[in-house]
Amino acid sequence: MASTANAKSMNRAATGQPTSVVASFIKRNVEVISISASIFVLAIIFSILNPRFASVENLENILNQAGLPLIIAVGATFVILIGSIDLSVEGVMSAAGMTFVLMTANSRGGTDYGFWAYVVAIGLAAALGFFSGVLFTKVKVPSFIVTLGMWYVGLGVATVLFGTDTMPFLTNDDLSTWASQQNLGMPNNFLLGLIVAILGALFLRFTSFGRVTLAVGNNEEIARGNGLKVNRNKVTVFVIAGAISGIAGIVATIQLGAVNPTIAAGNLFIALPAVVIGGTSLAGGKGSMLGTVLGVILLTTLTNGLTLADVSPNFKTAVSGGILILAIVITAWSQRDRLRISK
Amino acid sequence: MSLKSILTKPVRMIAALTLASSLALSGCTSTTGEGSTAPLKKEDLVMVVSVINTTNPYFAANILGAQVLAKKLDIPLEIVDSQGSSQVEISKIQAILAKGKKVVMFVNTVASSDAPTIVNDVKAAGGFVTIWWNKPDELNPADIGNNFVAFQKHSGLESGACTASALSDAIGKKGGIIALPGVQDSTTSATRVAGMYQELDANYPDVTVLDEIPSNWDPQLAYKNSKDLIAKHGDKIKGVWTADDGMQIGAMQAFKEAGMLEKVKFVSDGLYPETVAAIKSNEGNGAIVGETFHRGYMASAIGLYTAYLAAIGEIDPSTLPAEKRDSLFAISCVTPDKIDEYLQWDNDVEGWVDTLIENGPWDTAPVPLVGAGPEKIPARNK
Repeated sequence: MASTANAKSMNRAATGQPTSVVASFIKRNVEVISISASIFVLAIIFSILNPRFASVENLENILNQAGLPLIIAVGATFVILIGSIDLSVEGVMSAAGMTFVLMTANSRGGTDYGFWAYVVAIGLAAALGFFSGVLFTKVKVPSFIVTLGMWYVGLGVATVLFGTDTMPFLTNDDLSTWASQQNLGMPNNFLLGLIVAILGALFLRFTSFGRVTLAVGNNEEIARGNGLKVNRNKVTVFVIAGAISGIAGIVATIQLGAVNPTIAAGNLFIALPAVVIGGTSLAGGKGSMLGTVLGVILLTTLTNGLTLADVSPNFKTAVSGGILILAIVITAWSQRDRLRISK
Repeated sequence: MSLKSILTKPVRMIAALTLASSLALSGCTSTTGEGSTAPLKKEDLVMVVSVINTTNPYFAANILGAQVLAKKLDIPLEIVDSQGSSQVEISKIQAILAKGKKVVMFVNTVASSDAPTIVNDVKAAGGFVTIWWNKPDELNPADIGNNFVAFQKHSGLESGACTASALSDAIGKKGGIIALPGVQDSTTSATRVAGMYQELDANYPDVTVLDEIPSNWDPQLAYKNSKDLIAKHGDKIKGVWTADDGMQIGAMQAFKEAGMLEKVKFVSDGLYPETVAAIKSNEGNGAIVGETFHRGYMASAIGLYTAYLAAIGEIDPSTLPAEKRDSLFAISCVTPDKIDEYLQWDNDVEGWVDTLIENGPWDTAPVPLVGAGPEKIPARNK
């Protein structure tokens, strides 16, 4: 295949045709290019409608708002890459966020466990992910049902921990304003999201775990037939997704400076479309973290831009949904045959 | 084309399902007859408090009020946690009704549309129910019968007017403010917003609402929307109006991050414990300038006590005047310098419930009956 392509390329060059390198680059990166173009077009339109859209303050604001969904979307990308879905994100985030705040200096008092607050919160989230993974692979319950149940388990854990006392606030001002503080010209929460995405991309590209994940998503039976440990890979993916949801839960509480059991409400349905817009196939086996990052930025830009463009709240949801469908259709057009497969 | 060819199997199935569900629904919403009106014995009663969730401070206070009243009246109490879902709410209430005991029930409905099903189910089971905050305007307790004892709430128009006035005064009666209502189709939120505009239009012509974005009673969404509005309007924002204290928490965090907390004033509804703490600690150099006072424990105790009086035959709902069937209770405007006057009630919930039992549900300070519903949202001239 490769030699045929090279021969064709040489032939085109010899006959004066445009080099296939550009065409091949475009073909390989069609999703990334189309999302980048979409972001650019949206930015132009919104800047015309309201010049404040392009202000430094607003660009910082967009990145700040993209930070949390980006972290969630990285975990969701892993799960979607194996052709599954994780609906437990919001419940797991709530459980981790509540655990974190109650183990940190907060308005309810109690002991500040410092570093261990992070470890326990993320550990709890990873454990919930582990149970989802085991139930999914061993009991053969579809992932959307298992994780829907785990959503409520997480929410239940958060509600029990919350009890009937007042809402706990973080009492450390440095911590409660950390998310919006700047480093390297970006808000900390976006920077953290970017780091998580880069690590995710490296994992996918350079580790055997990443290659097995893509193989499982491409064709589970062939992967199993080739001796790959499919179930172990799937459980690991859910553990990673759980741990990432835990990080997101902590970031959400730091961002608000407080926590309640519904702290994560609405986040899943920003992250999942962002992953799909980013070119990750719902059928599994294909996708990239770069696409996910761009998908999150696209959706955040859209939400922010509609507000700045004075779109009435009565129409905003519908307009946002319409643009979302359009973006998904455009970016997923090239994979429409694959999307017919459902797992 | 024969009828048989038109009525293919799928069409017949759909028709049968439609007919069956229509019959079931019509059975559920039947409102014929007066229902059970005979006085019930106290030992046959069970008290039920149904709340939207158990973690919101207001709903937690609903439960507290029910617990104190149930203890005083020596009646067992059951708590329904709707978990924010109408379906959960209705199915849990139906499960309690199926146990056979006669209920004295307070329901803080998840959605207005839940009320007809609930009151009809309670009526069919011979119980007595009071609904708080949300019901369709056309659902009139008198039309259902004695078992739907009353619909009760605090005035949203008054709440909105009260907080708009406090905010406008605090920003020098001129300048831009932003408004964060709750869920867009919530009557409670809509009336508060209408009250805000009514007050601004009437008394503060130089105060402008720069933007109004529904934030679904959600602190996190209020935080995000506030960030966008800060980016959009910047220093033009002098004040922030939110329809409840939960959203105020999110808005204040956004302004804190933008370094604007000390330059902007905030008002809201509910005087939640978190808000009390922020006022007492002078957060943002007196950022919160106005609140309304009404309490969840007062609402549930008033609602349950009204239903209880009907259940034991102390009152006959059918003979009550209109304002005691569809009721508006007083709401107080509170400025930070006066919060201690109001917090006295929180420090003695048992004492307040004693006064309620002594004075009756319509005449207990600081929340006496002040008018009749339903509240009509006025049309704006501007």
